[in-house]
Amino acid sequence: MKGILDYVPGSSFLHRLNPLVKLLLAFVLCASCFVTGNHFIVLGVIALNLALAFSAGIFGRALKMLSSLLKLSALLFLVQIFFVREGQILLQLPLGLYITDLGLSFSLLFVLRLLAAALPLGLMLSVTQTSDIPNVLVRKLGLPYQYAFVLGTAIRFIPLFAQEMAGIMEAQTARGVEFDTKNFFKKVALLLPLCAPLLVSSVRRIEGGAISAELRGFYLRGRKSGYKDYPFALRDFGALLGGACVLALAVLF
Amino acid sequence: MLEFQRVCFGYESESATLKDLSFTINEGEFVALLGENGAGKSTLCRLANGLLKPSSGRVLAFGNDTGQVKTSLLARDIGFLFQNPDRQICQSSVRDEILFGLEIALDDAAARQARCDEMLQLFSLSGERDPFGMSRGERQQIALASVLARAPKLLILDEPTTGLDYRECMTIMGIIAQLHARGTTILMISHDMEIVADFAGRALVISEGRLIGDGPVRQIMRDEGLLGRASLLPAQIPALGARLGGPYAEAFSVEEMLSLILEQKGAAR
Repeated sequence: MKGILDYVPGSSFLHRLNPLVKLLLAFVLCASCFVTGNHFIVLGVIALNLALAFSAGIFGRALKMLSSLLKLSALLFLVQIFFVREGQILLQLPLGLYITDLGLSFSLLFVLRLLAAALPLGLMLSVTQTSDIPNVLVRKLGLPYQYAFVLGTAIRFIPLFAQEMAGIMEAQTARGVEFDTKNFFKKVALLLPLCAPLLVSSVRRIEGGAISAELRGFYLRGRKSGYKDYPFALRDFGALLGGACVLALAVLF
Repeated sequence: MLEFQRVCFGYESESATLKDLSFTINEGEFVALLGENGAGKSTLCRLANGLLKPSSGRVLAFGNDTGQVKTSLLARDIGFLFQNPDRQICQSSVRDEILFGLEIALDDAAARQARCDEMLQLFSLSGERDPFGMSRGERQQIALASVLARAPKLLILDEPTTGLDYRECMTIMGIIAQLHARGTTILMISHDMEIVADFAGRALVISEGRLIGDGPVRQIMRDEGLLGRASLLPAQIPALGARLGGPYAEAFSVEEMLSLILEQKGAAR
């Protein structure tokens, strides 16, 4: 079973980009959403993300990501829309609540930004092998391996922890705990005791990994230790140029 | 009690993990589920208690279609022991861990305590110890104790003896055998053919998602061709009996083999 952030093998344009360029491109696309206040530019970034996902053969996964984020976005939208009190009142509600034009516009931008900023990171992880991220940071940027390893491990552990949590919930459901309840608050209360097994298994896994890495010369690794070279190609410069154009558009409009 | 009717299941839409499985497990049986890694044994067990829903076909547990009923409701009758006890243990003392499952099953606090004490005694466990500081074998016993505390009618065991030493293994299997003798139905995944030969009465053999064998353990153990297709080897005594041939081919346990050897020795004199 593949998680939503697991690597999907492929040979598309995105797959073949240098991992550092993919990282930069993801960062540039995220930044573009925050430097602009234009809803259409942010919508354009979302559309660009979907187009990139389509070209990499992971359109379905991108839609899945988008739909997961939409649930969270809907909640944030509702909270946000009642907090902005400035602007012309569009809708008066009971309990002194009202929706203003500024509130609506800001909440919409907030939600669009969340979607547009999260998608590139998800796409980048889907088309990049996890080990390539720390390795390219060490090789090309000279980041000490220990720090790069921490970053790589954190990314690698996200799907692992998600799987572990799913396994723990499965085990608890099998003993009669009602995780299949539709009551959100009841579900949250039931999830709290599960922090203990998740924490224990995580610590055990991390401890095992640390000892194993230590025994294989973790502290001897340097900039030249990796066997991959990560050379830049013309397509990498093209992708960076494209990213720079999106950022420029976002700044200008 | 448990019936699979032409069940298919796949984690990914394009590939099926289980293909057209049909079988019935009756009350009081001790069934071993055999097969190579990745054959679909754990998936089959998860379908049995509703953790997974079939892509097609039906799974009936105690007359309930598991696709229609919540797993938490099915858990009243079906106990499930996972291979990794750490996924199940979530309390800071053994007593609390056993009581955790009981709090959902029993309303009466005194009855819960009594059941918990019974389990602590059965497994010779100290209720005040922290489960996370105990050995793997002890944690497996705690997980089993907390499942058994709910007195399930059907107990599903996913490799209950993996990672245990011989003594721990025999403790767990001894308790499971006692339960079976008292009428609990058991469905157990195991790679340990000696345990299967010693404890199970019937075996289901799965290979690449298909049921390729279903019959008494004595019969399955002697079918080396069938076991080979599922990357399995028979238990040592039936294998030895098959090699020796003649009357020894019927031997299934150490006692049976010993008695046959003594019989043959007596006849030779």
